[in-house]
Amino acid sequence: MEEEKEKEEGNNAPKMGFAKWVAVRRKFAIDSPFFSAGNVERELLAKQISLEITEEEQFHIGRMEEEQIWQVHCPIVGCGTKLRGLGDLEAHYVSRHTATCSVCARMFPTTRLLNLHVSETHDSFFQAKVARNYPMYECLVEGCAGRFHTDMARLQHLVDKHRFPRSFHFHIKKHASQRQRQRYRTHRTPFPDNGHHQSKQSSMMSEKSAHKKATTGPTPSLSKGISEVQQAGTPEDGTGIMDCGSDLEMCMDVDELTTAVSRLSTIAKEADNTPSLVSFGHRRGHRMPFLSGQKNNPSGRSRGSSHGKQRQTSTVHQT
Amino acid sequence: MEGASGAHHRDPFKSSVGRVAGQRRRQQAVTVGKERRESVVRAKRLRRADPSDHGDDGSMQLAVMGDEAAYKALEESTVNAVHNLKNLLKGSPAKRIGALQTLRHLLSCTAMPPVHVAIEAGVVTLLVDCLAFGSSEEQLFEAAWCLTNIASGDLQQTCAVEPALPLLILHLGEKSAVHVVEQCAWAIGNVAGDGEVLRDVLLKQGALHSLSRHLLSPVPSLSRTAAWALSNLIKGPSPKAAMELMKIEGMVDTLVSHVSKGEEDLVVEVAWVLVYVTSMSDFHVTLLLNAGLLPPLLGCLASSEQLSLLTPVLRTLGNIVAGDNSKTDVVLSVGQSLPGGIIGVLARCLESKHRTLQKEAAWAVSNIAAGSILQKHTVFNGGVVPPLLHLLATAVFDVRKESAYCLGNLCVAPKESREQGGIILEHLIALVDGGCLPGFIALVRSPDVEAARLGLQFLELVMRGLPNGRGPKIVEKEDGISALEELQFHENDELQTMSNTLIDRYFGEEYGLEEEYGPGMDVLRGSDDSSDYPPWRQGGGLTA
Repeated sequence: MEEEKEKEEGNNAPKMGFAKWVAVRRKFAIDSPFFSAGNVERELLAKQISLEITEEEQFHIGRMEEEQIWQVHCPIVGCGTKLRGLGDLEAHYVSRHTATCSVCARMFPTTRLLNLHVSETHDSFFQAKVARNYPMYECLVEGCAGRFHTDMARLQHLVDKHRFPRSFHFHIKKHASQRQRQRYRTHRTPFPDNGHHQSKQSSMMSEKSAHKKATTGPTPSLSKGISEVQQAGTPEDGTGIMDCGSDLEMCMDVDELTTAVSRLSTIAKEADNTPSLVSFGHRRGHRMPFLSGQKNNPSGRSRGSSHGKQRQTSTVHQT
Repeated sequence: MEGASGAHHRDPFKSSVGRVAGQRRRQQAVTVGKERRESVVRAKRLRRADPSDHGDDGSMQLAVMGDEAAYKALEESTVNAVHNLKNLLKGSPAKRIGALQTLRHLLSCTAMPPVHVAIEAGVVTLLVDCLAFGSSEEQLFEAAWCLTNIASGDLQQTCAVEPALPLLILHLGEKSAVHVVEQCAWAIGNVAGDGEVLRDVLLKQGALHSLSRHLLSPVPSLSRTAAWALSNLIKGPSPKAAMELMKIEGMVDTLVSHVSKGEEDLVVEVAWVLVYVTSMSDFHVTLLLNAGLLPPLLGCLASSEQLSLLTPVLRTLGNIVAGDNSKTDVVLSVGQSLPGGIIGVLARCLESKHRTLQKEAAWAVSNIAAGSILQKHTVFNGGVVPPLLHLLATAVFDVRKESAYCLGNLCVAPKESREQGGIILEHLIALVDGGCLPGFIALVRSPDVEAARLGLQFLELVMRGLPNGRGPKIVEKEDGISALEELQFHENDELQTMSNTLIDRYFGEEYGLEEEYGPGMDVLRGSDDSSDYPPWRQGGGLTA
């Protein structure tokens, strides 16, 4: 309470003034003890220990609903997840089949991260720009405009500015086995047929053999731009530090590379025809055509633009 | 603000599953919550598995705090589970998920899971690996659940979760599965509940934006969890985070929309967000008022029975009226549409049996009564005086103190207008007639310096303001003189001075002489006696 020493008007007031009542608004800080009683009650009520609703229970609860529950398997080839009901199917489709890298089949929680992954891992044009010293590596935190010349620099930024742990990895690299390293050294084959990106095994080997050290004369091999080693096996394998900065060895003229790239027909970033809004069922607005060969088919609805580019690469190369 | 999960519409079946599941969770949760009343208060939520989930693991249920041996066994199992997970990290996903599930069960079967042994066994690094991009939904979900429960422990344990934070935040992305998002949000909420240091880390990693995306999720449990986690993130005391939140496009409208239309559980969490925002940012109070926050807010206050909802809503209102007069005017005018107006709604809170509501409602009223003359009149005529008088006489100490602030504020004119020596006589007389003096004199006697000061100041008003010397008479009648005298030797100088001043001025040598010789005697002796004791003090009920 504010206190003002006021003398009464015209009275023989005593020498020490009396601090009279003054009406004043009182504000309390958020952590003031004034509020602690209310906070305690909140905490007591907020200490919720939640039950796990098992799949079974959910199923039974769903049964009680009006709508019929039908079991369906995800029609995307290679997936086949069991799903219950339209809502489930929608949710599953959105989470599993829209932010998936079509090259290495890794899944990402946001479109942006998928795009970053594709650029950084599967896009030779990206590497070309990196080689020309453009800061291509974007900060992963949404809203931060940081861009960096190397993956390590970006990681440093994440650690310094955003308090990420030093052990954080965006990329996953599987160390090449002895045999594979041997193979790559002896067989400097040009970039082979790219049709089998679905099979991760072959994907890895094809990338490996087209590692940057391969020089095939003047014909630009765009695959040289790919400096990262593609992961083998399942995407969920362990982590290794992606060290693309040091791995990058451009054995050919970057200008040749960029000329070759410019010769490619432009494939718009939206070459992936996956609509962002998907709905199912006869009541819905659009229909999303299910192609059973979707994942496997490189010529159809590719999801990463770089996929398209690589396909083009092989075409260019074979001429 | 963009919608969550691609903005597709949920089937009705999907939302009602969520609702029914949520209801079941709540029922069980409240029961268990009562059991835990003795334990340390935390702003956290432990996610616990359903006991009926695993028939064979009945042994786990024995691991309640009292049973030493069973708890030891639980700890051992947990350590084994961690080692097992480590071995399976490079194995097949299915086996890995199995190991995760086992671990999760161990960490969620009792109210106080053996988090410490798990951390010591190095579980966090393993869980971080399990959160890598491209992992299956099930794996992400289980890992996030384990982290949630680890982060529900004490500060040290929660700090151990720090390496996992960036991935947890990144998995809040719009392409993640709903239950994964919710679990990550839950874990993040737990971490944020533990102190400003960790909150800071989360903010720097972009948690605010990622979480706020899910405020508009059509899945009720998700929007609620996101709101709860956000409230933990912005609770400060630094206003930085709250400001950043409000800068997000569409946030003001989202919050108002939820207060208007959301389910009660969601409104509770959003109300807490509003508590922090209204306390920390005057600017945003204006924005929120302009966006139409008040009608739904007051509506909640007028109709809800749930303490968990009333508390933050009332406090939000209290924060709003602790601002300037113009905001209070807005509140009063909007409140007119409610029966009894805003003052009537606050009176309802004063009459509640919950001490917190009484106290914070009285605080809000005191702030309104500290405003303009018009605001004081509105309060006075709004029907809130009888409950205040009752509280002043009968409630617990801190409620009585707040009531005193209200009543005193009603009797003094605003600083700007110095009419009648600064006293609103009409109010003062009514309150004295209403029997407020004993309550103030009791405050004079209290050990709390602030309360004693309040009491003295009110006595001064009474004795100075009431005409014909009635003031000192009635103070004497209520045994006020002895209360003053007690303070004369108080160690606190200020109180000592104040009480001496009052005694000298009003109970000096001339006092008492008038009784025998003064002209006003008849008036003094008149019908005052009975009116000094209003019906309620004679044992009747209070008619509000």
